[in-house]
Amino acid sequence: MITQNNTVTKVSVLPSTGGKGRNIPWPMIKQILIILVLSLLVLLTLIPIIFMLVSSLKNNSQILSSFWSVPSPAVWENYSSAFESTWRYVVNTIFYAATASLMVMALSAVAGYIFAKKMFPGKELLFFIMLAMMMIPHILTLIPSFVLYENLGLTNTPWAILIASAAGGQVFGTFLCRSTMAGIPNELFEAARIDGASEVAVFLRTVIPLSLPILVTLFIMHSVAVYNDYVWPLLVIRDSNLQVISVGLTQFSKQFGITDMGPQFAAYAISSIPLVLTFTFGMKYYVQGMTQGALKM
Amino acid sequence: MKKLIYTFAIILIWLCVTPSLVQAKENWSLENADSISSISISTDGSHIAIGSLGAEAFLFDSEGNEIFRVKAMNSVTAVKLLESGTLLVASDDRHLYAYDGNGKLLWDRNLPRSVKDVSASTDGSIIAVVVQRSRELLYINASTGEDAGTSSLGVTMQGVEVSPNGVWTAVAAADQYVHVLNAQGSLVHKLAARGKINAVSVSDEGIVVVGSTGFKVDIFNKEGQRLQELSLKDDVMDVTLSANGDLIAAADYSGNFYVFDDQGKMLWETQGDSAGRVVAFNKDAESLITGADRGIIYQFDVGTAVKSAKKQALMNKILVTAGCLVVLAILAAILYWMKKSNRLGVFVKIWRAKYIYVCLLPGFGLLILFLYVPAFSGLFHSLYDWHPGGRTEFIGLDNFRRMFQDPYVGKGIGNLGILIVTGLIKAIIPPLIVAELIYHLRSKKLQYGYRTAFVASMVIPAVAMLLIWQNLYDPNVGLVNNLLELIGLGSWSHGWLGDPNTALWAIIFIGFPFVGILQLLVLYSGLLSISNELIEAAKIDGATLSRIIRSIHLPLLSGQFKFLIILSLIGIIQDFNAILIITGGGPMDSTYVPALQMYYAATKFDALGYSSALGVMMFVVIMAITVINMKLLKSED
Repeated sequence: MITQNNTVTKVSVLPSTGGKGRNIPWPMIKQILIILVLSLLVLLTLIPIIFMLVSSLKNNSQILSSFWSVPSPAVWENYSSAFESTWRYVVNTIFYAATASLMVMALSAVAGYIFAKKMFPGKELLFFIMLAMMMIPHILTLIPSFVLYENLGLTNTPWAILIASAAGGQVFGTFLCRSTMAGIPNELFEAARIDGASEVAVFLRTVIPLSLPILVTLFIMHSVAVYNDYVWPLLVIRDSNLQVISVGLTQFSKQFGITDMGPQFAAYAISSIPLVLTFTFGMKYYVQGMTQGALKM
Repeated sequence: MKKLIYTFAIILIWLCVTPSLVQAKENWSLENADSISSISISTDGSHIAIGSLGAEAFLFDSEGNEIFRVKAMNSVTAVKLLESGTLLVASDDRHLYAYDGNGKLLWDRNLPRSVKDVSASTDGSIIAVVVQRSRELLYINASTGEDAGTSSLGVTMQGVEVSPNGVWTAVAAADQYVHVLNAQGSLVHKLAARGKINAVSVSDEGIVVVGSTGFKVDIFNKEGQRLQELSLKDDVMDVTLSANGDLIAAADYSGNFYVFDDQGKMLWETQGDSAGRVVAFNKDAESLITGADRGIIYQFDVGTAVKSAKKQALMNKILVTAGCLVVLAILAAILYWMKKSNRLGVFVKIWRAKYIYVCLLPGFGLLILFLYVPAFSGLFHSLYDWHPGGRTEFIGLDNFRRMFQDPYVGKGIGNLGILIVTGLIKAIIPPLIVAELIYHLRSKKLQYGYRTAFVASMVIPAVAMLLIWQNLYDPNVGLVNNLLELIGLGSWSHGWLGDPNTALWAIIFIGFPFVGILQLLVLYSGLLSISNELIEAAKIDGATLSRIIRSIHLPLLSGQFKFLIILSLIGIIQDFNAILIITGGGPMDSTYVPALQMYYAATKFDALGYSSALGVMMFVVIMAITVINMKLLKSED
């Protein structure tokens, strides 16, 4: 409520600043106002994270009695007990995310290059088959897919997650790679071919390096998507040794209940570490992927 | 292999639209009797003997008229009818009785402990008896009831089956092996079962069928090799082979009865209403007699089912062959036409591009098998009462009709409406405000910094974020109530998620202040792409900032708005993660959405057809939205 009031006042301030161009401090005040409002919004957005970090260092009585205070003394044991019950899920999920994303990268790079630069009979039809899948919402295929994987004996194996996310991710990936690779000038390939390079060599030494940014983008976006996936793993994985972190966290909270809130928050914090690392190194690619993906649609 | 079976199953489902032709011919029930423990049918099919746990054995004729009944002192564990009309009755009262066809006691053999099972060849030359805790299989003389020999197994036994011709005897032992003995009583081989053996049956040819815990029935040949494995829906209660060994019947604990052929293909299945106990084929396997809990006996006419299944298999074969021929003919016609019009060059092109197809194969293989097959399977099965691995029946539009009568779906659509309206507001207004604010910052560094700060909220996994919000709403320790107390509105605090009136709004409020990353980035890059000259020109003309936003920014961002609106609509209709994790649809039905009901239909209620129908419905709505949007986009252009 408070923020909305603030944003409203801010909007009403802006017009008056535009008109009074002569008044020198106005732009400064305007800037400071913007900074204040934005800072407040950032703070509000990050409140759950701050709350999680603070609470992860408290024990139950600290959380219940002094809600707003900083944890003193900090209960670092929360992290060790949370780590014990979550590391398995985190490792599993990283493995799924990395493997599936590599599969998506490989499939999309090959298909994207072929659809961008090669002529062959049936190209339009095949591309349409690929593109049409983007129109089909996953809600339609969720339950039938589950039955299919069950019948193929893939449920409760890592393949259930790897295949599903590779098959789904390559559609968008191919689309993204195709439009990027179409922008690579043909002369580059011709030069390599004249030098006697084989088709495979052209692909590996020219196409891949030139489209590396988009492939990294694809890798990061898809990894994040797999890391956040919830319903599909919940459906297809029953063995807790194979389970992913999203499902693991919900079971963790059920298993600990209200009795142990500190470790629960510590577990959330631990589950964020891979994403923190991904965003630290790949933020640029992620942002690029999001905006590009949006524009290409 | 399994893939092959699955594709074959799909084809079969396509072809098997006609429902199976079995009717329960008649059923009768034993008066105040307990569960049926065993059934034995005479070789000519004229008599049916039934033993019940209520300490009685009955003899019926084939019409279900009682000929006689005899009482024992304790539960009757097994009955066996011989060709001569003699009825053997084994009971927990430590006796083995023999009666003639009129119910006259022929002999009564007293044994040291409870008699657990008896089986015999039809001519009575071999009668094998299992006595509780004994490690020896006892053979008994049919005419006198005296010992005819023993055969030591060295382990206690649960049950015994003698093949009709007496050549084979299969003993279910407590060590989870089936011991197969020959007519002389010496061990031929041991078959390993998967668990505790519940039932065993052996045919004249030495084929052994073993039902064990874990829903599995295994078929072994006379060399002791496992031929087939059949899956039932519940624990196996009884299995039986027809006399010639080409049909197998089974009963499970949920009351399902099954008939399989010797290849392991299910020919027929039916569901009773109480636990199945025993199954038996009559002569020629024309009908199947089954016994269930509470003394109910069903007689099913399976001969027609088996025949029609066979006929159908033949029909399918013919259809498939015909289909193949048609396809071949069409191909030939196309080839001929291409040759005539001199277009065969395309094959040269295809051959030249062969490596391209090879490279595309993995991707398209995945695409078709794991995306297109489920999509079409969903569309197709929305018209069926779908039970994978069991009976799938065509029910037309019943699933869709059910949807309109389902109160949860009705409530869900209402909730979805609220979610869509609020979701669209959340998706457009806050990100737009933030994008404008960042855009109007002078310093590029600050712009980058704030953009990054908002994206930083993505570092928490989506599920963890939901769980944190769940904690924020907690009535005792939650931040929301704490905050209310802090600003003096403590009286407002309550269990936001536990109250049906506020639960949905609590879910909507998750993610406050709703600065979606994708939305922010799209709108922000949209603003950046607006040319500066346009804005400068407007400024020179004296336009105020609000005027610039209203007349330049908003119209030029209309493409982005449309994109975000459609994306949000599609996302909101499909997304049920938050509701599934946080409220599970409750309290009561206050937070149901159609997608959640779809998930529950599949996972809780085993209504896969209905679930598919809900999926199809949402698919149709999403398609309609997309198409309308595309039309609108086109008309704008």
